[in-house]
Amino acid sequence: MDPNIANNPELLQFLAQEKERAMVNEMVAKMTSVCWDKCITSAPGSKFSSSESSCLTHCAQRYMDMSMILMKRFQQQ
Amino acid sequence: MDSYSSPPVGGASPSPEVLMEQVKTQLAQAYAEEFIETVRVKCFDKCITKPGSSLGGSESSCISRCFDRYIEATGIISRSLFTQR
Repeated sequence: MDPNIANNPELLQFLAQEKERAMVNEMVAKMTSVCWDKCITSAPGSKFSSSESSCLTHCAQRYMDMSMILMKRFQQQ
Repeated sequence: MDSYSSPPVGGASPSPEVLMEQVKTQLAQAYAEEFIETVRVKCFDKCITKPGSSLGGSESSCISRCFDRYIEATGIISRSLFTQR
């Protein structure tokens, strides 16, 4: 097997997959950080209240909605 | 410590499988370190409101809960992202 990355389709695919995984991980981490700040306003309890957990769920979805809107606006510029 | 910045013995390059394993291991480590650093910042912010001369019992239990909640929050966020309407 050719260890030269540029000639090795398996390695190229692996790197592409890991890159995508890294991007997803980055997005989840960023969103969790932002939504934690928005939704968990008091000291953490032994479980989330229902308002805290729905806030977190909604926060992620609204963040994605907002991203789409921003991208569209940016493409229109 | 970085096993592929020093030349391998015998001059042969690592096989692609070994390379892939090394990349996966290093990525997993990097993700874990980033996660821990984030939790550190968030939980210090929420639990150590007035730093005293030692860590109090309530502060310790807050930190423990905070860690669990942050992991839970990460799960909630990633699940809500991947079950989009």
